[in-house]
Amino acid sequence: MGKKTCWVAILCSIFLNVVMLQWTIEAFFGKEFEHVYMYTIIAIASSFIALLFYGKWRKLDKHERA
Amino acid sequence: MVDEKKNQKRNQRKADDDMINLVDNLNRSEDLRFNRRAFLKSAVGASLTLGIATLPFSIKAMMDDGEDDSEKLEIAKLSELPKGESMEFHYPTDSEPALLVHTKNGELKAYNNKCTHLQCPVFYEKKEEVLLCPCHRGFFNVNSGQPMAGPPQRELPKILLEVKGDVVYAVGREVRHG
Repeated sequence: MGKKTCWVAILCSIFLNVVMLQWTIEAFFGKEFEHVYMYTIIAIASSFIALLFYGKWRKLDKHERA
Repeated sequence: MVDEKKNQKRNQRKADDDMINLVDNLNRSEDLRFNRRAFLKSAVGASLTLGIATLPFSIKAMMDDGEDDSEKLEIAKLSELPKGESMEFHYPTDSEPALLVHTKNGELKAYNNKCTHLQCPVFYEKKEEVLLCPCHRGFFNVNSGQPMAGPPQRELPKILLEVKGDVVYAVGREVRHG
C-alpha cells in the first residue's frame, strides 16, 4: 500500500464524513433516531480509518526520507 | 569590490532592482509550515472534526428516544369545521403549531404548520387546495404534506387523526412520511 492510497483514503473519509454529518442532521430533525446512530457510527469509523491511514503515511514518509 | 557591494544590496529583500531581486519568493519558515505533511494533517483533522460533530446528535437522540409524542388530544368538533375550512391547534406540545384542514372532498388532514424551509407559518389556500407558506412562496400538497413548489425540500410533519362521533382527536405524529 503506497502513499497515494493513504491520500485517497483520507480525502474519501472527508467526503464521507461531510455526507454523514448532513444525513445525521436530516435524520435527527426527522426523528429517525436509528438512522442517526447508524450515520454516527459510520462517521466515527471513517474518522478512525483516516487516522490509521495518516499514521501509515507518516511511516512511509519517514522510511522514504531515511 | 564596489560591484560586489552593489550586488549584495540588489539581492536584499524588497530591493528596487527588478531583474536582480530573486529572493522574495523564498521563505524557509513558510516552506516548513505549509508542506504536504501539514496539509495531510489538516485533512485528517477535518475528517475527525466532522466525524465527532455527529456525536452530539446521537447523544441527544438517545436522550429523546424514550419520549413518546403519541398523546391523544381533542382538537376540534367536526360540526364546527365545515368543508374547505381550517383551524390552528398545537400538537404534541404547546410550542408546536399545527393546522387541521377539512378539505373540499370532506377529508381531514393535519400537519405541523411550521414551514420546513425557514419555520414560517403555513396556511391553507381554499381556492387552490394547497398549503401555502407566504414568506418565500412555498407550496405543500394538502393531501400528502409534500412540498410542491418553492424553497421547501422536506414534507410537513403529519399528525395522525382519529374521529369519534363529532370529535376529532390527534393521536400521533409522523415527522418523515411518504
